[in-house]
Amino acid sequence: MSNANPSGTLTGSHYLDGDHACSEGAIAAGCRFASGYPITPSTEVVERLSARFPRVGGRFIQLEDELGASIALLGAVWGGAKACTVTSGPGFSLMMEHIGYAAITETPCVYINVQRAGPSTGLPTQPAQGDMMQARFGSHGDYRLIALCPNSPQECFDLTVEAFNLAEEFRVPVLVMLDEVVGHMTEKVVIPPAEQIKVSERRYTKKKPGEGFKLFEAANGSMVPEMVKAGDGYRIHVTGLTHDDRGYPAMNVPTHEKMQLRLQDKIVENADRIVRWEEKDLDGADVVVVSFGITSRVAERAIKAAREQGVKVGSFRLITAWPFPEKQIAELSKKVKAFVVPELNLGQMALEVERVVAGRTKVVPVPHVGGTVHNPETILNKILESVR
Amino acid sequence: MSTNGQTVTAALPVYTKKDFESGVDPRWCPGCGDYSIINQIQKTLPSVGVKRENIVFISGIGCSSRFPYYMNNYGMHTLHGRAPSFASGLKVSRPELQVWIMTGDGDALAIGGNHFIHAMRRNLDMKLVMFNNRIYGLTKGQVSPTSELHKKTKSTPDGSPDYPFNPPLLALGAGATFVARAIDVEGVHMGGVLKAAADHKGSTFVEVFQNCPVFNDGAYTFLTEKANKAEAQVRMEQGKPLLFGKDNKKGLRINHQRGELEVVVLGENGITEKDILVHDATREDPTIAYMLAGLADKAGFPTPIGVFRNVQKPTCEEMTWEMIDAAKAKPGAGQLAKLLAGNDTWTIK
Repeated sequence: MSNANPSGTLTGSHYLDGDHACSEGAIAAGCRFASGYPITPSTEVVERLSARFPRVGGRFIQLEDELGASIALLGAVWGGAKACTVTSGPGFSLMMEHIGYAAITETPCVYINVQRAGPSTGLPTQPAQGDMMQARFGSHGDYRLIALCPNSPQECFDLTVEAFNLAEEFRVPVLVMLDEVVGHMTEKVVIPPAEQIKVSERRYTKKKPGEGFKLFEAANGSMVPEMVKAGDGYRIHVTGLTHDDRGYPAMNVPTHEKMQLRLQDKIVENADRIVRWEEKDLDGADVVVVSFGITSRVAERAIKAAREQGVKVGSFRLITAWPFPEKQIAELSKKVKAFVVPELNLGQMALEVERVVAGRTKVVPVPHVGGTVHNPETILNKILESVR
Repeated sequence: MSTNGQTVTAALPVYTKKDFESGVDPRWCPGCGDYSIINQIQKTLPSVGVKRENIVFISGIGCSSRFPYYMNNYGMHTLHGRAPSFASGLKVSRPELQVWIMTGDGDALAIGGNHFIHAMRRNLDMKLVMFNNRIYGLTKGQVSPTSELHKKTKSTPDGSPDYPFNPPLLALGAGATFVARAIDVEGVHMGGVLKAAADHKGSTFVEVFQNCPVFNDGAYTFLTEKANKAEAQVRMEQGKPLLFGKDNKKGLRINHQRGELEVVVLGENGITEKDILVHDATREDPTIAYMLAGLADKAGFPTPIGVFRNVQKPTCEEMTWEMIDAAKAKPGAGQLAKLLAGNDTWTIK
């Protein structure tokens, strides 16, 4: 870990919306390349980057579509840049192809998705949290990645920095999953001095060209291989085909199994280092509200009202949706009477809570079609019902 | 541009063809035109004046796209159709790299058609070589966007009812600043075209007529057979009249009344070499390049081979970096904190 580059870090207290806070987080994290295609409600992120980048030596390019945008950044990464792209709704669907490519080629990169209501074009300007399962399973085949869910502009800044750090540490695509409300709400954002912002730099091999460096060999007890960049003299081959440690295509089951399991295990076995959540009033709680993003802000009010009525209710806020904090939820499920899971979709993370709880206790989904946020009373009623 | 290192430096090692071979045996079908293309690329690269580590090969999906695997360079085998966009991200951020995109007719013009035209339009300095075999080879024989009208393939058993692209016309229309065509079996000529492509600075499109001996054998026999060759091809050579046919007795002339090219015969109706259109790929106006590119679809005309267009204009990455340099040159660049607390601040007492 090193410190953020002071030349780009906008240290100070600011009044920013979530989209703009993501841009500042990216710059502070050392991102110097972004690609994008205009789409509501996420365009502000790249607009700010395109204005801020030139002075810090960064490049933004607007591509012909989200297919182009979501692979151009991977080109920049293999040239040595830290890079991100930003999208919403239909754009996120188009990007799935390249999230899969980033996963198999272990390309460190960040995709920011400001969720709007779908399916398809849906409600372009209105919020939802309906892409949570797509974030986990959207590209074909099996792979693991990391998805973070900020619930405020401050966290948009913090978690975008975090996203870049995790991407480098695990050579994995990291998704920052906002929703339209978090993207467009304006609040105070405190950006610390650069020396207080910790940044993970790319881990390049110390082997020189010709010394047997292998691009996909996880060595020295690490599950994450080191990298090289174009122009440094390495002959490399990167492919979306199943490949061996050298990156050469190998169409056989043992190679596929070895590659696939490492792609999975580097996330699963490091879950304790990756998983982040925020808990409140869990001691002695009968009911736990599991929420994320803007829904956690709405749930706060319902939780307060329930506690005023004497219900012992606590909060478990997902900061990483993926990997899912399954150990923590499983542990809680042995103690509490119910989990209440409000979200702006028809029940996605609730499925994950149900899977982890495995019938030990009650799981009460509080679905919402999106377009707006829950009425806190709806969540309150579910909390009250769940302990009745 | 200070950030562009594509000039010959004193320290440049002397390379041979072997330096660009990865040592992996190419896995293309016996007799495939792809062997000829890789052979010419590997022969050409030692002469382009760029360090080997600064040369990058990017491909999509298809037979053509196995290319980087066989090159001793920095190679990226990306996704179907997406190579131009991947390459754009790399080139914009690392302008000193020489970027080659190896693609096929399905990869570049069907699934990647949108990326292709936009890469050409932007005038990023990238060399796109499209292996045109007029068929989907890797998936074993379906119709492609360059397959001829009425062509019977595995996916068009009764003949294809749609019209093909004319790739150089498409590239010209999209704004490519270098557009050329070569043929797999004419290696020496192809080598010259590839060298010119390497030397060009800007969006570069090279179509290579490539025979697929398994799924579309003989697609270019009409051009390459000894008996037809002289009549079927016209070689475009800079500054030379567009002559063809046996003993170069035929030529292309602009018919001013009809506003189109016509075939004339030297010595007939008082025609001399002075009447023949002189080839100039550097014309700013692309009209004549369009006319020449269009001949490939016209009965009674030869197919032009060589460089259609070769013009210079500022590249996208140059302009991007100029903007960055200009922004950095403004006072306070790189010192945001100092700027925020600069001359224009005051304290409210």
